Amino acid sequence: MSKAENILTIRNLTKRFYGSLALDHVDFSLEKGEIHALIGENGAGKSTFIKILAGVYACDGGEITLDGQVVDPRTDSLSIAFVHQDPAFAEELSVGENIAFGMGYPRRRGLIDWSAVKAQAVKIYEAMEIAPLDPDRLVSTLTAPEKAILAIVRTLALAPKVLVLDEPTAALPEADSVQLFKAMRRLRSLGTSMIYVSHRLNELFGLADRVTVFRNGRHIVTEPMAGATGDGLIEHMLGRPPVKLSGADPRAETRGSAVLEVRDLTIGGRGPVSFEAQAGEILGLVGLRGGGQEAIGRAIFGALPITSGVIILNGKPLPQKRSIGDSIEFGIRLLAGDRSAESAFAGMNLVENIFVNPRIRGGSMWRWTSPAREREEARQIIDRFDVRPRREASLIDWLSGGNQQKTCLARWLNDQGDLVILEEPTSGVDIGAKLAIHKILRGYAAGGRTMLVISTDLEEVAALCDRAIIVSRGRQISELAGPELTLDQLVSHSSQGGRHAVSI
Amino acid sequence: MSSQDIVEKRGTAAPQPKQRQVLVNFAANYGLAVIFVLVLIVFGLMRPDTYLSRSNIGNLLTSQSVTALLALAVMMPLTTGRFDLSVGYHVGLAQVLMVGLQANQQLPWVVSAIIVLAVGAAVGAINGFLVTRFKIDSFIATMGVGSLLYGLSNWYTQGMQISGLQLPAGYLSVAGDIFGIPFPAIIVLLVGIILWIVLERIPAGRSLYFIGFNPRAAELSGINVGRAVNAAFISSGLLCALAGIMLGAILRSGTPSVGPEYLLPAFAASLLGATSIRPGRVNVGGTLLSILILAFSFSGVQQLGAAFYVEYLFNGGILVVAVALSVYAAARRRKSAVHSSAH
Repeated sequence: MSKAENILTIRNLTKRFYGSLALDHVDFSLEKGEIHALIGENGAGKSTFIKILAGVYACDGGEITLDGQVVDPRTDSLSIAFVHQDPAFAEELSVGENIAFGMGYPRRRGLIDWSAVKAQAVKIYEAMEIAPLDPDRLVSTLTAPEKAILAIVRTLALAPKVLVLDEPTAALPEADSVQLFKAMRRLRSLGTSMIYVSHRLNELFGLADRVTVFRNGRHIVTEPMAGATGDGLIEHMLGRPPVKLSGADPRAETRGSAVLEVRDLTIGGRGPVSFEAQAGEILGLVGLRGGGQEAIGRAIFGALPITSGVIILNGKPLPQKRSIGDSIEFGIRLLAGDRSAESAFAGMNLVENIFVNPRIRGGSMWRWTSPAREREEARQIIDRFDVRPRREASLIDWLSGGNQQKTCLARWLNDQGDLVILEEPTSGVDIGAKLAIHKILRGYAAGGRTMLVISTDLEEVAALCDRAIIVSRGRQISELAGPELTLDQLVSHSSQGGRHAVSI
Repeated sequence: MSSQDIVEKRGTAAPQPKQRQVLVNFAANYGLAVIFVLVLIVFGLMRPDTYLSRSNIGNLLTSQSVTALLALAVMMPLTTGRFDLSVGYHVGLAQVLMVGLQANQQLPWVVSAIIVLAVGAAVGAINGFLVTRFKIDSFIATMGVGSLLYGLSNWYTQGMQISGLQLPAGYLSVAGDIFGIPFPAIIVLLVGIILWIVLERIPAGRSLYFIGFNPRAAELSGINVGRAVNAAFISSGLLCALAGIMLGAILRSGTPSVGPEYLLPAFAASLLGATSIRPGRVNVGGTLLSILILAFSFSGVQQLGAAFYVEYLFNGGILVVAVALSVYAAARRRKSAVHSSAH
């Protein structure tokens, strides 16, 4: 351990919710100018920990020392800033104004000095050594990575001693996180100490200085990142050695004839792309964000119009114009990637979230449904998909991300349907749920279903898919299968695609 | 949030989580029913001779049937998250048309009723078309259509009352009694049962709620959002027409200025209804229960000698309190769920 000075020291932090311990005598220390990763499964106590630091929850015991003084986050105003997973902005105001909210509007003769507002925005980006955005741009026009960086930049205005980043990359494709990490490194060089919560282990290597693992409300280990391994960390998080993702899978044996054939498909001027997928196959369509792989999945599902080309399902060409309802009747399913915007019905319970559309399960929109029978069926489905808590009456928004995703998955996976399209099936999901979802997907593939995984998560594609097609600008640039389908190969092929796309 | 946490931290005096959960759930689901019973008991004791008399109850049920149908009319588009502000003007038009077609055009009452229903469906379809096809915000579109309807009913009547002296007995019996129960109340009950079945037991009807909670997810689940929203507005139009047919028989005349005053109580009832039976969403049972509470508590206050303007204070107050209550209840339920799932 280095002898560096601690900016933040936490001892014996304890939090109870009624009888159960959410945090059990947790110790934690943050050194000056370090990036300290905090990892653990959902429910490990990370968010309770952060909420106590933010003063949202009162702790039931323990001591927090910031910069040599014992503090109480609920009453003292502390020099700790937070960047959340989904930062809130005044979307219809400009970048400059959103920064000015934190720093204050510069004034001249009592009125707002607009040119100084803009200059201040540019200056703060430059201090971070990041190419500044046009301060007049509305926040609603920013891309996800631009917003993530803005969230960090605006907290700088407060000159915090400690910056807590709560999964800022969860909504970002891996390739877009690079800018964010650059900003974090720059902040570290300026002396800011950071606590970085993430579900993506691989991004911690080379970024974090130390890593702390929580499990079941307890501090398990703190170690230098340099000596840590991915498997070792997963073992700490799970409390057991991880099950190897590849090897014993029931892959490849159950292959059949082509269920899906896509011929010369162009969508909105992009493409063409042609490929086939067999029964029982998990095929990945991989690319960088905006690479056009999402559009291919959506077009097959009837959610995007096709410019030209043919989609053949089970030997029969599908009509060019067809609604999503028609596609469901043809046996196509699609799990949308953006869970909160396009998939989960927040405010509705698990039964409702599973039985949205009876036609997905081969039923009719006009048949009388008995709530008792639906509840009973939902209970079985919840068991099968291992959704926790096992309460079919709880609202979906009360569940953790992984359990929400399992519920949405349960909506689409049943004994009906031939082709399942999955967009980012495990985004914003902890490692335990990720493994569980992969197992469910493999089970359904082994049952003869064709799976099309649309993903920017290369690690996931390498672990889950039998074959992967790398897509750029709606076109196939390469294909990997069998022993060739490794993370390294995917990274090198898809980054080639990225350069290719830029040079066109 | 913060004061709540402090209260819970002290802990010892609070009931056990299980008990507490049951209590919270009961209050959330049946709070309105409890309030209704309390209202009946309190005013029944204060005015034992008049309040629970047959004639008072009969009058209340008859006069509130129109409000009840309009509250359901408002509720249907609200399930999808859309407003129908045209219901007040629409019931006015339906009422003058119903009386006018019989008095001026000498049409039989059943034919008049069919025409009024057809016009109602058409008005609903126009509202739906503006909202789904032209993507006009429902608030604006239905406000505009409402004013248009008001103009039409004043044009049709030239702003004057249509006398209902020659209205046939068959039509007037719509506002009569059957076995001592007001016929309008029976219609409301039947309509309520049908809507309840559609919204709670038939997947196609239930899809309206999915649209209300997350329209994009509903669309990607294969629900035809445009068609469902249109259907909600058409059913709203039909309910307004039915309310107008009933109102004409109750008033025994066609009065073009009648109608707009129904809008606020209709919204108040359906939003207050969203706090009970199926908390968090507008629903048939809650809406009808709210109508009863509003009517019976206002009648009680009236019998104690309150002035006419108290009605407006009442309806306005209820609307604000209803929305505040439902927001608070949602936060409360979320909190108790978070705590119990932390076990």
